[in-house]
Amino acid sequence: MSSRFHSVGLLLVTLATNAEAASWANVPHGRVELVAERTTFAPGVRAWVGVEIAHDSGWHTYWINPGDSGLPTKLEWKLPQDFHAGEIAWPVPKRFDLGGLYNFGYDGNVLLPVAIDVPSSARAGSAIAIAVSAKWLICSHEICLPGKTSLALKVPIANGEGAANATAAPMFAKARAMLPTIAPWHGAAKLSADRVHIELSGKDLPNTAKLDIFSTAPNVIDNSPPKISSANNRIIAEVAKSEYLQSVPSKLTLILSETAREPPIAWKVEVPLGPVLKTEAGFFLNR
Amino acid sequence: MQRRPVLILGAAAALAFALPILAKVVVDQPAPDFTLTDSAGKSHSLAEFKGKTVVLEWNNPECPFVMKHYESGNIPHQQADATAKGVVWLTIGSGRTATADNAKQNKAQGGKGTAYLLDKDGAVGKLYGARTTPHIFVIDSQGMLRYMGGIDSIPSADRSDLKKATQFVPQTLAALASGGAVNVKSSQPYGCSVKY
Repeated sequence: MSSRFHSVGLLLVTLATNAEAASWANVPHGRVELVAERTTFAPGVRAWVGVEIAHDSGWHTYWINPGDSGLPTKLEWKLPQDFHAGEIAWPVPKRFDLGGLYNFGYDGNVLLPVAIDVPSSARAGSAIAIAVSAKWLICSHEICLPGKTSLALKVPIANGEGAANATAAPMFAKARAMLPTIAPWHGAAKLSADRVHIELSGKDLPNTAKLDIFSTAPNVIDNSPPKISSANNRIIAEVAKSEYLQSVPSKLTLILSETAREPPIAWKVEVPLGPVLKTEAGFFLNR
Repeated sequence: MQRRPVLILGAAAALAFALPILAKVVVDQPAPDFTLTDSAGKSHSLAEFKGKTVVLEWNNPECPFVMKHYESGNIPHQQADATAKGVVWLTIGSGRTATADNAKQNKAQGGKGTAYLLDKDGAVGKLYGARTTPHIFVIDSQGMLRYMGGIDSIPSADRSDLKKATQFVPQTLAALASGGAVNVKSSQPYGCSVKY
């Protein structure tokens, strides 16, 4: 039984000779690799790299808000001086139903894109080393395993846009398609003693037939599927309040996902949360 | 520039509201009673421990988060400390992974709780909204729920995070023993999901 866990903490270092020759690191129940979108980086640009996770069938890793259990994947970058890495640009997650418990994350192949700001002082003709330490939790419906690995990539610095990395292009295209676009809608979320009522209005609202809604922040709304309806050019979503909500945030960042499409199309919308009604104020002060 | 949000709150009343499958218990409210059988076949109810502080710990010995807290000695140490002070510590296995073997495994991992209870159909886990292993509930001597959530403040499977984390059970038990207020009443539960 304990042999299942022998590979936990396994550290694999992959060093590629150029941006295109990244190679997969085999990890328990999947493979991961670090890829660059372009074969060279130009000084002073925002370049994109990504950590691709290929999950074995039946296994998944987690979104920034993992849901009822799990942990989000974490990346720690080691970059040359004056290079900066952004946060993961999280693709829209999938909802996993674990018998009344819900997790948000990814199965199959997913690329977690990250922007790298290349300083204008970067010297064309040189090559830079990008290294990342990735940590994740990979789970099936039966068992979870924490995993980690270190990945590295060498990218030449050259003037001009640089050729697309042909191998990685389809995954970057898929990840881009799964990035929530900022929605032009407006709305609000109202918090009562045990639930959150969300209303959105605006142009080109998505079809509510196969719509799902996630909060980027954990422990605000319950992780069970919201009840979503539409009326008079509005989307109305009802969801239970998380019993682990402590301090009420002033706004909710919501991801709407039209799950009828593969990959799903997603939008991001930020709505004010509250105000908490006066009659409920005492309840929250007591939390 | 910013347009006023259009809100028609009356519409909410007309909507049937979908409740999550898992029930919810509420801190500072009475903890619901239950009866479960321990790994030796002995029946225990929460009510029989009235007058004592009770810790409920959801457990699955094969979960790496549980292993982190047992193999490091963190939970066994807290169990020994609590039970020495008269606190009842009930370790509960819920759902399809719960077997009598789990109790043996728990003991082999250093478990020092009062009893290992089996909740194979998950009814008690669902009653409490237990979603992870570990997941902790602390009930005071009057039967009131005083804490629910994570075993500590850093959601991770890394043992190295233990020394930086706030351990919520000893903190809650100390507050209850001194008659003081419980400062942190809930926190995010983290770990593997309970296999309902």
